[in-house]
Parts: sequence; C-alpha cells; structure tokens
Amino acid sequence: MPPMSETSTPQDLSFFYGFLARCMQYPDPQWMNEEFFQAFFSLVDTLGATVEGKEIRDALKHSPDPMEALQIEYTRLFINGAPHVVAPPYASVYMDKSLQGAFALKTLSFYREKGYVMEKDADLPDHLIHELEFLSLLARDNDLAGEEEFLTTLFRPWYQQFCPRVGQETRHPYYRMVVNLIDFFTSEEKKDGFQCNEA
Amino acid sequence: MAFNVTRRKFLQTASLAAVSIPLSKVVCAETGVTKASLEPKGTMHDTTVVGGLCEMCFWRCQMVGRVRDGQLIKLEGNPKSIDNGTSICARGNAGIKLLYDVDRLKYPLKNVGKRGEPVWKRISWQEALDECGSKLKAVVDQHGPQGICVFPHGASAKYPMHYFERTVGTHNVSEASFFQCRGVRDTAYMASINEAPEEFVDMANAKVIFLVGCHFGENIHVSHTKNYIKGLQNGAKLIVADPRYSASAAKSDIWVQIKPGTDTAYLLAIMNYLVKNKKYNQEFVTNHTAGFDKFSQSIAEWTLDKAAQECEIPAAQIKEVADLLAANAPNVTIHPGRFSSWHGNDFQRGRALACLTALLGAYYVKGGWLPPKRPKLNKTSWAAAEHGNEHNLNYSGDKMQHPYSPPGTPTELIRDCAISGKPYPIKGCVVWGQNPMQTIPNQEKMKQVFKAMDFVMCVDVMPTDVTMWADILLPEASYLERFDEIKVGAAYAKAGDTEPTQYIAPRYPMVEPQFERKDQVYITNEIAKRMGHEQDIPVQTLEELVNKTLEVSKTTLASIKAEGGIHLQPGKPAGTVPEDFMVLLFSDEIAAAGFPGAPTYIPVENVPAGHARLLFGRAPVHSFSRTQNNIWLHHAMPVNPVWLNDEVAAKLGLKEGDTVGLVNSEGVKSRTTTIVKVTPGIRKDCVYMYHGYGMVNPMLTIGSGQGVDEQSLITKIAIDPESGVHGMRNNFVKLTRDGKTLDMPA
Amino acid sequence: MQYGMIIDLERCVGCHACTIACLSEWEVPVEFHRNWVHRLGPSKVEGELASTYYPGLCNHCTKPPCVDVCPADPVKMTFTDAAGKTITQSVAATWKDPVNGTVQIDKSRCLGCGACVEVCPYDARYINPAMIDDVGDGKADKCTYCMPRVEAGLLPACVQTCITNARIFGDLDDPNSEVARYVKKGAKGLEPKGGNIGPNSMYYGRKKDISLLFRDFTPAALADVNAINRRTMLTTMVKPAMRKAQELGLLGLAGTMLVQGRGQDEDKKKG
Repeated sequence: MPPMSETSTPQDLSFFYGFLARCMQYPDPQWMNEEFFQAFFSLVDTLGATVEGKEIRDALKHSPDPMEALQIEYTRLFINGAPHVVAPPYASVYMDKSLQGAFALKTLSFYREKGYVMEKDADLPDHLIHELEFLSLLARDNDLAGEEEFLTTLFRPWYQQFCPRVGQETRHPYYRMVVNLIDFFTSEEKKDGFQCNEA
Repeated sequence: MAFNVTRRKFLQTASLAAVSIPLSKVVCAETGVTKASLEPKGTMHDTTVVGGLCEMCFWRCQMVGRVRDGQLIKLEGNPKSIDNGTSICARGNAGIKLLYDVDRLKYPLKNVGKRGEPVWKRISWQEALDECGSKLKAVVDQHGPQGICVFPHGASAKYPMHYFERTVGTHNVSEASFFQCRGVRDTAYMASINEAPEEFVDMANAKVIFLVGCHFGENIHVSHTKNYIKGLQNGAKLIVADPRYSASAAKSDIWVQIKPGTDTAYLLAIMNYLVKNKKYNQEFVTNHTAGFDKFSQSIAEWTLDKAAQECEIPAAQIKEVADLLAANAPNVTIHPGRFSSWHGNDFQRGRALACLTALLGAYYVKGGWLPPKRPKLNKTSWAAAEHGNEHNLNYSGDKMQHPYSPPGTPTELIRDCAISGKPYPIKGCVVWGQNPMQTIPNQEKMKQVFKAMDFVMCVDVMPTDVTMWADILLPEASYLERFDEIKVGAAYAKAGDTEPTQYIAPRYPMVEPQFERKDQVYITNEIAKRMGHEQDIPVQTLEELVNKTLEVSKTTLASIKAEGGIHLQPGKPAGTVPEDFMVLLFSDEIAAAGFPGAPTYIPVENVPAGHARLLFGRAPVHSFSRTQNNIWLHHAMPVNPVWLNDEVAAKLGLKEGDTVGLVNSEGVKSRTTTIVKVTPGIRKDCVYMYHGYGMVNPMLTIGSGQGVDEQSLITKIAIDPESGVHGMRNNFVKLTRDGKTLDMPA
Repeated sequence: MQYGMIIDLERCVGCHACTIACLSEWEVPVEFHRNWVHRLGPSKVEGELASTYYPGLCNHCTKPPCVDVCPADPVKMTFTDAAGKTITQSVAATWKDPVNGTVQIDKSRCLGCGACVEVCPYDARYINPAMIDDVGDGKADKCTYCMPRVEAGLLPACVQTCITNARIFGDLDDPNSEVARYVKKGAKGLEPKGGNIGPNSMYYGRKKDISLLFRDFTPAALADVNAINRRTMLTTMVKPAMRKAQELGLLGLAGTMLVQGRGQDEDKKKG
C-alpha cells in the first residue's frame, strides 16, 4: 500500500471509508479472512502504529477461537452486552438519547439531499457503518464540501462521544484500533486549521 | 482536535478583529438558505397509520400512529374506538420509547458463558433455531414431553404455548397472568357462577361501587377507568377497603382501613348481617342460588363485632357499608378485582365476593355484574390433543392436589419437580414474554430451576432479568411491529344509545420490525419443524392466523383495515339473568374435594414483632417490570418510595425522602435502596411499594438498579390450597438505614 | 377571547397520560417537561385525610410576568382574529397573543437568557439547550396550549389523551363554554401569594383536594424581580456586541457571549 499523503485522491479516501465500514461489520470468516487482516495490518503499519499492531496480532494468535472472541466483543460493545451495551453505533443514541430519533431523520435527509437512499435490508440510517459508506460515496463523487459538512454537522458530534467509550471499554485491541482509525480519517480534513463555516 | 486554540479563545483575542474585517467584506448579504425552524413540528400533519392495538399492558386499547419518514413519532387512541376512544394512558403514549429502545434485543444471541452470567454472541437465526430445535428435541427424546416447562406471558406467547401444550404434550406450563395474578379470581368465580368474571362490572351505572383492594388510578385500564369515573360523576357512592389510602381510597366516601389478609372475614360479616337482617335479595336468592341454608349457617359466626376485631375496623363501619349496599341493591358493583394473588387464602375470598354479589342480586343488572355480548371468533391454533394426566403434576392418581387450578400447572409444582427431579426430570425450559425472576416469588428458587435445566431459551423484546438465564435468546417483534391478538367487545358507542355496538379490532403492524426481530408464528413454526412437527403446523404466517381467527365474523384483516382498523356492528343488549344462571352459595363439589363448601375465612400469619407486612401494587406509569426501561415512564416515576406510617416514621427517626433499604424476616436484603414516603395514609403494621422496580440485568441501562425490587424480598411462599396459585403478601420486612436495621415499633 | 384549561380533580386519576402525550407530540427532551403531574398526600388537610394531584402546565396568565422580562428587541407583529380583524403590536421574543390570550415564544428571536424561566412562579418554562442558533444558545420553551393543533382543528394533545376527560379546554371569555361554566362553579387558578397575574389554567375539585393543592402549590410570591432585572440588564449589555458580531458575519459569537453572561449571573446567585 502506498504511504498516506496530503495528496490522497478522492478515490483513495473513498476506499479508506469503505474499508473502515468493512472493519465495523459483525465479524464473519467470510470476509474477515487472511486477506482482510493483511490489508488491515498493512494500513496499521503504514500509519506507524507498530506497538498496537503487535498487540492485535498477539490477541488473535493467543485466543483459542479468535473469531468467536471478536464476535463476543462486537456483541458486547455494539449489540446487547453485559454489564451493558457499551457503545451502540447509532448517532441518535448520543444525540437524542433514543434509537431512531430526530438526529437519525436528519442524517437520512442529508443522504437524500445527496441523492442516496437506504437499501431495504440496511440497518438504521445513522449506523456507523452506513455513515462511513455514505462518506465513501461522497468521496467517490468528489463532493468535498458535502463530505466536510456531513462530518462536521452529523458525524463528529456523536462520533467523538462514541469513540472514547469504545476505546476505554473494549477488551479487544482490534476494536480500539478500528475506532481510532475512523477517528483519524474523519478528523483529518480539519487538521489544517479553523473551519470558517463551523456553526 | 488539532487546533492549538479553542474557538472561544480565538474569538476573545485580538486576532478576531484582524480576521473579521476582511471577512466582513466578503460575507454575502443574502443567502439562498433559510434557517430551519427550531419549533418542533407537532404531529398533526404526519401520516396516520391505523390498526394499532396496545400491549403496554393487556387491556389492548385501539390506537392510530403518526408516522414521519418511516418512523413512528406518536401513538394516539383510535378516534373510531368505542372502547378507549382517543385516549391512551401514559404507558400507551410511551410505546414508541419501547419500540426504539436502544437496549431492545436486536439479533439472536447465544450465551457462550455461564447460565446467569451470560457472555453473549450474536448468531444467525438458522443457528439459533437449530440449537433450540435440537436441544428441545433431545430433552423430549430422553425425558418425554413432560421434560419441558414453559413460562409464557402476553399475546405473542399464546401460539407457542399451545404448541408445547398441545402438540409437544407437556402440562408444565405456568402463565404469570394466572398463577401470579388473576387466576384464583377466575377459578373462584368459575366454581361459584360457572364463569370467569373478568371485569364485567357496569360501574358507569352503579349506585354504589365497592372495591376490595382495587386501586384504580394507580392501576390503569383505560375504558375501565373511564367507566369508574363515569360512575362517580353520576353520583355513585364509593367504598374502598384497603390498608392504604390508595388513589381510589382518596376518592371514596367510605375508606375501610382493613387489616391485610382479613378481607374474607369482612365480607362474611357483611353477608351475615344482610342474611340476619333479611336485607338480601330474596327473589334472586330463591331463583338463582343454591345452598343458601348451609351457607347462612356456615357464616353465622361472623358477627359485626367478631369481624371488627379480626379486621381491626369499627363494627359500625361494617354495618354502614352493608346497609349502603343493601339500600342500593341490586345496582351495586361488587368488583371481582383483578390481581388476586395475595395471601394464599384467595380462592375463598373470591368465593365471598361472588356470593356477596348474589345476596345483593347484582348479577345481570345495571350497575352490577353485566357481561357484554361480544362478537364470536374462531380459535385457530395448534390442534387440541389429549395427553392424559399421567405426567400432570397436579394429579396423584385420580385426585387433584389443587382442583381449582387455572389452566396449566401450578408454578410451585413445576419448580419443585424441576429442582428435585421427582417424580420425573424437567430439563428444558421455554420462557416467552414472561420475566419469572420478577413475577414469581422466591428468586433463589427460580435460579435453582434454571440451573437444573439442560437447555433454556427465552423470547422477549427486552433483556429482562430472566433473559440472563437463557442459553439462546431470541428477539421478538413488538406489538407495534406485528399482526396479532384481536380485541373484541361491546359498548355503548355514544351517550344515549339504547343498544350496544360490538367491535372487532385486530392488531396490525404500525411499522416494519427492525434488525432481525421475528414474530411468534415464525419462531414457533421453525422450532416445530426441527422437533418433527412440520405436519402439525396450523398456519404459515401470523397474518394467516389472524385471518383464520376472523373468518367466522365474516371480516378480514383487509376489510377491517379499510374500515379504519376497527369493525363495528350492531350488538345485542346484555339482557337479564339467564334462567339457568346459578350461584353456588354452598358448593357440594368444593366440599367433596375436601375444601370448605361455603366461603370461609382462613387467617394468615400475623406480623412478627419488629416487622411490617410488605404490600405492593401498581404504579400508573408501569406494567410490572415490563416497562421499567422506558425512558419517559422512568422519568415520570424514577423510584418506588416505601410508604411508611407517619407515627412509625417519627418513632424511627425517619423523614420524608430519607434513603432506606429493606430486609425481610428471612434475612434477605434489598439489593438497592429507595426513599421513604411518610404519610398518615397507611396502617402502622404495613409498608407499601410499587411493584417492578430495581431490576438486575445491567443490559437495561435505564431501569436497572432504580428503586427497590420488592419481589426479591418475597421469599416466603404462600400457596392457595384450592387453586395452587401464589400468595405474595406474607412477607415481613424491616427498614435499614446506613447499615443499621431498624425495628418497627409495636 | 382567552383560551384556558380546566383540570377537574374529581375526574383526574393521576395517570400521567397527559404528560407523556405532550413529550411525544412536541419532542420534548427527556430532562424537561411542558406539563407535569405531582401526587399530593395522603396527608391531613383540616383534620381530614386527602390525596390528590397537581397536573400543572403553563397558565397563559392574564398578566404574564414572563413577557415583561423578555429582553429581546421588540418587533411589530400582526395578529388576526376569526373575523379577520387585525391587531398589530410590538412584541419581544415572548408575548401574550391579543387575539386568543395565549402566551407564545418566537424561538428564532429568543436569546436563551432564561429571564422568563426564572420569573415564572410555576416553573412552567425551561431552556432547551439543544435548540441553538446564531441568536441564542438554548431557547426558552413551554406549553403553547397546543396552538398549532388547535389551529388545525384538534384538541391539545394532553386533552385529547386524557382518559377521564379531566382536562377541558376552551374560551374562558365565552360564557357558554364548558370552561366558563367550571369557573362559575368555582374553578380557580393558583394565584401566587399577593399576586394578581391571573392564571388561566384552573382547578376544580372537592373542597379537601383543592385545599391540599392550594396549600402545597400556591407559589410563595412572584420571583425576585431585581435578580431578573439584573439578568435582563446583563443580556442587554451584551446585545450591542452581538449586533456588531452579526454585522461582521460572525454569528457564532453571540452564543458564546451570552453563555458567559448567564454563567456569571448564576455564580452570583450561588455565592
């Protein structure tokens, strides 16, 4: 994989968003295979997170059933867990204190504005995976303004609450890395300075 | 964030001016974008969806929904309803917060940890159903169908319950609505008037309403409450017997502050007074009762004075109540009650209520017990089958231990058998919509049952406390996302109507189920296929089940939907007393079964020194523990304060709002604490709490650990001998404060 | 015309249907409410045991103190009655409607300063912190008597759902209305001690229940107007700066400054 640079093309970014969405799917050997982990670790290593990368490799190696360990952790973090569901991956949970609140509707109408609708079997519109997929599509469309607006008004406000919850609570280094990767790619646009249109 | 200065700091510094002046020159004066209004829109202009049938409790009010962008925004009473009209209660209104509760079960889960200390893993439906089917089949193959026990509750549990009872063939079914709620009322009336009474009392037209323990206002069923208030507005006198100044007592003309457990003594004294003074309805007694002589002899000992002493109320007040009832008979409501699992002497109590109604001639009259004539429906389900009584735990040979048991098998017989393995092993457990951890007394014993199982499966919408004991946990479509249950009834459609109108209101989904939630017909059928019963499956879909149930009424789901979700048709007047209607004042059958043939008072254990009797009841914003995680309802009443008599509180040095725990006479401590409510409105020997609070399961992020779970303190089990139903008010508690136990003053 | 609401405590059973329907209709954040039900007692009132409810909401007062303290710049607003007659008057961000007598808020002009919240003797107002725009960081909110519903020909959400018809809505000025008949029968509002603001949400019930309600929930006196004035002054002081910011196109600034003003005021109150 080529090193990341400031000159990443929209297509690169589209690919990254898509890859991150993939990382957040329920672990299944169908896609979470050797090829996936190769790509995953290549990205992690490129970003220089070698210590964390080793931690994940060790966790996978030393687990008697690495797939089940990831599935259990995913369930606990994102679906229904004990002691409690740690971090439901839906924007509305953080912004409306409810599933499918007004914030989810706002997200959906933003998709529509950009010409996208939800697939019939999709999860809720404000699910992290779908928001990443949408960002991937915007990046592919080279709609930088739309991407930035979405990140600022609809993504970051909840993601910055979600990310530390996972980071602090997870028992698996893989998910700590995934949420940090997402954090990195979704806040990158702003690192050059003050956003004038930040409302 | 990567900025080295915050926005606010930036705006405060001198650099602001430097950038703002050039900025101001380039800011366009007009923009093409208008600001969205901050004002919430209201739901007036949202799409209306008809056909909702509430199940936040089980009264089943008819609703419409307001839908915006596929999202259910609000629920309202269906204007076409002649039952609840445009009204729904707090719980009904809060239904959307159950629908979109983030803690709701979403996917099938497998417990890869220990039972009771679950480690959940999401699995596919295929895997979940294979596991349920094969594990349950293994139990049946090894131990027979009786090796399976079922704990169902609610509309969705009926279809699977019939499958396990009829097709698989186990008797070991314990429904909470019967064995921990109203079952004993039903069987007591069955044994007295050959019918379950439901709540068919015509309170709207009553001259006197007599409530023994009913606490309307705290217990809310919409159309029932409407009739109650109509009655009071029409001038009915209200008599309320309750140890506590309940919501109903607060509206009463006469409050009878009765000693808990002594209701039957009280009722016997009223009846004895009516008989002795010939103030009963002699015509009704002659034509429609049996066993009057034996009955009157049997209750003769219950003088006003004797009851006054037993019930700790004035004799003059008993006489006043009896006279008031007699003077207004027959147009008096003797309310049969609903929840009746009180003291383990409740069959006789139910009998006494049924007999009192007879002495007053208050059956089939205005203001009395007046069952409506409801539309008929088919009973489509799994085919009924006879499985004999060899493995029926309620039988020893031909003799029944609890001959007046509600349908199913008394809970305690199932639990004892499961724990001891005698007379046979019970190794598979199906929990469907019930939360036995909070409905069935003695939680430790319930845990023993689950520990004895080879396999436990739970189906629910929420991760209630019992779901922690599941091996496989399946997410069910809620009442807002599925077809189901049909409410039928008859009522006067509008004021002044002389003929009632009948209604048929099936449940329609108001929105599609989300995630991988499935309905009961899908889940049951898939398990049945895997247990080898594919050929017995009665319907393929829930929609088909409802349509087949409707067939006899010549309506369909489609036709009723076109009518606005409710079908109305001319009804028949409730009518006069049927000629063959008989009330068994003395029942030879009950006597032959070895129980008292006439209603008889059986004293309950007295409160031991230093303790208070633990009483519990309903909060208007909750349906038991089912609604505890609802964020709106939780905020309406976040905890369940413990009611404490003001004089007792003064002696204990407790003030309103003080934090306390509870400990029962068997040493069981409450897991959590609550606050004290100091009031003169409760007897000194009792404390009272709302039921359903303080759940354990941490997956319920709102309801968990809020208030005190009074059920955890109900460890002494009382069993009503005739019915096998639980009595749950025989437990005694002390309060604890800062680790110290406080003795209740004498 | 003066819209008003009667709450008949003989009918009320304290079920909370009204409060939850309101949350649902108006998307009120869970921490707040536009109406409420408190259970009172059981306690002794004049030697008798009593227990009743306080179903409260905005009183849409005849002389609303909340309107007087609003520091927002007045604008001209035209009101039209049923006959088409118009009244134009100068109003701040909250006002009493001269046609129907209700008290309303224009969220787009509300500064979120909280003066009205503080002056209301019934705690009927709150600041919804989620409503943020360039004018205010949070907005005052409260019961509107469901005017948007009423204008669409519907009943207020709480009235529609009330399971015992304990809530009755109508025009108090119309002597033939049910609400006016209740007033004739003795329904009365919770007037603060020594006050004369004319609450238009009124209570009817048995003597002991009304005594209990008025004993426990008669507001002590109108809030300390000096404190409110101080707040208003503060808000007014920051306004020129805000307008300047608006001119500069730096709309985000206003909220920041107002938050500071409020914070300081609250510190003083605590200290």
